[in-house]
Amino acid sequence: MMKFLFYMIFMIPLCFMVDMFWMVQFLLMLLMFLFMNCSLMYLNNNLSYMMSFDFISFGLILLSIWICMLMLMSSENLFKINYYINFFLINIMMLLILLFLTFSVMNLFLFYLFFEGSLIPTLLLIIGWGYQPERIQAGMYLMFYTLFASLPLLMGLFYMYNELNSMMIYFLKFFNMNFIILYICMILAFLVKMPMYFVHLWLPKAHVEAPVSGSMILAGIMLKLGGYGLLRVLIFLQEINLKLNYIWLIISLMGGFYISLKCFCQVDIKSLIAYSSVCHMSIVISGILVMNYWGYFGSYIMMIGHGLCSSGMFCLANINYERLHSRSLFINKGMMNFMPSLSMWWFLLMSSNMSAPPSLNLLGEISLINSLVSWSWLSMIMLMLISFFSAGYSLYLYSYTQHGKFYQGMYSFYGGVSREYLLLFLHWLPLNMMILKVEYFMIN
Amino acid sequence: MCTHFFFFLFFFSMLSFFFMIYFVMNNLVIFFEWELISFNSISIVMSMLFDWMTLLFMMFVLLISSVVIYYSKSYMSSDLNLIRFIILVLLFVLSMILLIISPNIISILLGWDGLGLVSYCLVIYYQNLKSYNAGMLTALSNRIGDVLILMVISWMLNYGSWNYIFYLNFMKNDLIMSFISIMIIMAAMTKSAQIPFSSWLPAAMAAPTPVSALVHSSTLVTAGVYLLIRFNMLILNTFFIKILLLLSMMTMFMAGVSANYEFDLKKIIALSTLSQLGLMMSILSMGFPDLAFFHLLSHAMFKALLFMCAGVIIHMMNDIQDIRYMGGISLYLPMTSLCLNISNMALCGIPFLAGFYSKDMIMEMVSFSNLNLFVFFFYYISMGLTMFYTIRLLMYMMINDYNLLSIYNLYDEDYVMLKSMMVLLFMSVISGSFLSWMIFYYPYMIYLPFNLKMMVIYVSLMGGVMGFLISNMKIYSVNKFIMTYNLSNFLCLMWFMPSLSTYGLSYYFLNFGYNLLKIVDLGWSEFYSGQGFMIILKKYSIFYNIFQMNNFKIYLFSFVMWMIIIMYMLIINI
Repeated sequence: MMKFLFYMIFMIPLCFMVDMFWMVQFLLMLLMFLFMNCSLMYLNNNLSYMMSFDFISFGLILLSIWICMLMLMSSENLFKINYYINFFLINIMMLLILLFLTFSVMNLFLFYLFFEGSLIPTLLLIIGWGYQPERIQAGMYLMFYTLFASLPLLMGLFYMYNELNSMMIYFLKFFNMNFIILYICMILAFLVKMPMYFVHLWLPKAHVEAPVSGSMILAGIMLKLGGYGLLRVLIFLQEINLKLNYIWLIISLMGGFYISLKCFCQVDIKSLIAYSSVCHMSIVISGILVMNYWGYFGSYIMMIGHGLCSSGMFCLANINYERLHSRSLFINKGMMNFMPSLSMWWFLLMSSNMSAPPSLNLLGEISLINSLVSWSWLSMIMLMLISFFSAGYSLYLYSYTQHGKFYQGMYSFYGGVSREYLLLFLHWLPLNMMILKVEYFMIN
Repeated sequence: MCTHFFFFLFFFSMLSFFFMIYFVMNNLVIFFEWELISFNSISIVMSMLFDWMTLLFMMFVLLISSVVIYYSKSYMSSDLNLIRFIILVLLFVLSMILLIISPNIISILLGWDGLGLVSYCLVIYYQNLKSYNAGMLTALSNRIGDVLILMVISWMLNYGSWNYIFYLNFMKNDLIMSFISIMIIMAAMTKSAQIPFSSWLPAAMAAPTPVSALVHSSTLVTAGVYLLIRFNMLILNTFFIKILLLLSMMTMFMAGVSANYEFDLKKIIALSTLSQLGLMMSILSMGFPDLAFFHLLSHAMFKALLFMCAGVIIHMMNDIQDIRYMGGISLYLPMTSLCLNISNMALCGIPFLAGFYSKDMIMEMVSFSNLNLFVFFFYYISMGLTMFYTIRLLMYMMINDYNLLSIYNLYDEDYVMLKSMMVLLFMSVISGSFLSWMIFYYPYMIYLPFNLKMMVIYVSLMGGVMGFLISNMKIYSVNKFIMTYNLSNFLCLMWFMPSLSTYGLSYYFLNFGYNLLKIVDLGWSEFYSGQGFMIILKKYSIFYNIFQMNNFKIYLFSFVMWMIIIMYMLIINI
């Protein structure tokens, strides 16, 4: 584990050098291939004093490196106009290091520390490289929603350390903390981070104001931190969770349906994609909280699939934004006339977003539906509605941006460049090809 | 490019034909599966089943798609995005084949979802508002079926495998299986456009005509029928099959009546497709899946041909589809009219054409079965209605005067289109007899009284005469329509189904979503978290600021208060 950490730490000086943008990107890709060579087992491997990874950490670390690499690729504009590019690079490196540590530490307190720490580079990304003055408010929303809920988590951790004298995640599975206040303290932070319905307001705001790299990391990894945290802390909260999970499940499932209806009222592309993330995450929350095998793996698969898919959709939104300087659906119209090849990518990513085969999202959705229907058949109603309206808003987004007449007030336009197509391809390929190797996600 | 793909698909069509013959002769079934993962003692597999039924259907799909692609060489020749079109058609064929060959409910999703998505792309191929709306209606109607299949997957988890063909026989009396059968029936109804969902099929005529020939007449819409043929062991003798029978008969009748009120050429053909789909579904739900399959195949041939002829005519008519402008086509386009007439005759079941074998057998089996009067009358009335709208269409297009603009350019020498139509013309003449010899091991024994036997001819003649009469109506007879305005409105708008499934539904959901956005996201959620929290904090910090700003006053005030308290205490003590 140390070798990967040192690899990333020693990349920091590189960030300060001139014209090392693509070098950093390339080295991140190399890091991912190095990391892929680690053997993957159900149990921990590469165990050191306080870092290790099992298959869930493995996938999420891979996803973080991949998304960070793609973030650099998508923000080539910053490099071209040299907009604080060194600071941008070091910010992303810090973010990656923190995410790596978050997913790989075995100590629950350290997990908390890095979990919160990863908020700071994200905040800097939004406030530093966002576009509108409202980004300050969006940053505040992001900061205080997550902090407000995670301070109780800190108190819960202190309590647990006082009681158990250990913070090792894999040690805690021998305990059963059947204590309602602790339960709420422990999971609320992650539910806000996911985000659950009712506490999701920070997400559309942050996405709308963030630059493309910020949106990608938010949708790609930040939401998954919540899911990862839930998967970890529910180990010692099993009994109380089985008693109380129906509350969160009802909120999530109803919320998923409501959110999918709200998507139809959005006129901002990024806001629509952000709302669709909330909708997907609501099913992931439900899958985690019912605590069966299908839900466990389904939510994991869905997190990976959604990370790639929504990140790719934010890239697409940004590609349009760079050309039209607007995210409004009324201006982003009829793009098929200008960029037919990009239209194909819109369609491919949109169809993955509505969990069409053979994407990871489909496998995740099938597993989550299996888990939820075996929990209660009544959840079928909401699942059907969510699944149906997911298709509805995906098609709405696709057809509104791609089909029909284009905006007449457009002054100039330029076609796609191969960097952008490569970027989208690198999102789409793992999303649809990894289904051929499901053993990476469902370990028996 | 089109020619290459024509040969490619034609080759595979012939290949599957010969394999089909080999499989029928040797009574052979090949089943293979590829395990994606085995998890929690259940395996997710990609399975493929090749038997004569699969191969025969594949042969028909490939044959029609090959000629359709060849036809598009001329029909779409001036289109800028021909490559996209061909790719989409090929993707469609691929997903259709994946649907046909997979007997596993998860791997069938690959084809099932693929059909919905690709057909969406094909419907919105043209960049106008009509195709936009039609595409959305098509995709969302089909999505209902996808969602139901997803739910079926979650229920089939109970049986430990998604290869349903292995246990349908043994589990059909199970309670869970009855839930599954409801959902399967509904999924099939969405794909095959049965009554609550039938508004998408006429709307999907916004697609290019080759697409209509391939997708909306012969292949995609029969996917639902095919799924139910595969599931027929499960749904036989259940209560839901009776509801399916009722709905499919109503579809058949509704489409037949609406076709008589329609003036759009493609929509008339679409409605006749809908009527035939209702026929297939209802004969399936009466327990004759092999007859449904037989009619599915023979219908695919002549209906694709009919659409291709319509495409030629639309081309010649300056893209006008209204049949009131047409007339005397047979004088100008003799070959096309030949194909059109033969396919129309096959549709009506004129003896020894393709439709005769399947349709006549269906009608006779219906008369032969133990059924109530309702089913009987609906069948025969719909049979008459088929003849009714066919003759009406022929009168408008072939016989009456040419009504289009004064300048026109009709020619019947587009040999690319004609050649591709000839293939289907051949098939729509012979496919009925060839299929009836090929796929039935034993002939059906049907024993009917004379009048019942002749009933088909009676209703057809009656329908034909009425079609002749209605097409000769002059301007004063419009008054008759006005007299029955409400009724004819109801009938010609497909029983208001398009309005109900678009504006009728979307308004409530959109309004609900809008209200939710206003009340929850921008209302209470903000009030209790973001903005509300800020307001409260602001209020209290202003309040505390008051203390900090008025230091001296408060000091004096507290001094006075303390003095009062001390004096009070002193008084109490005394």
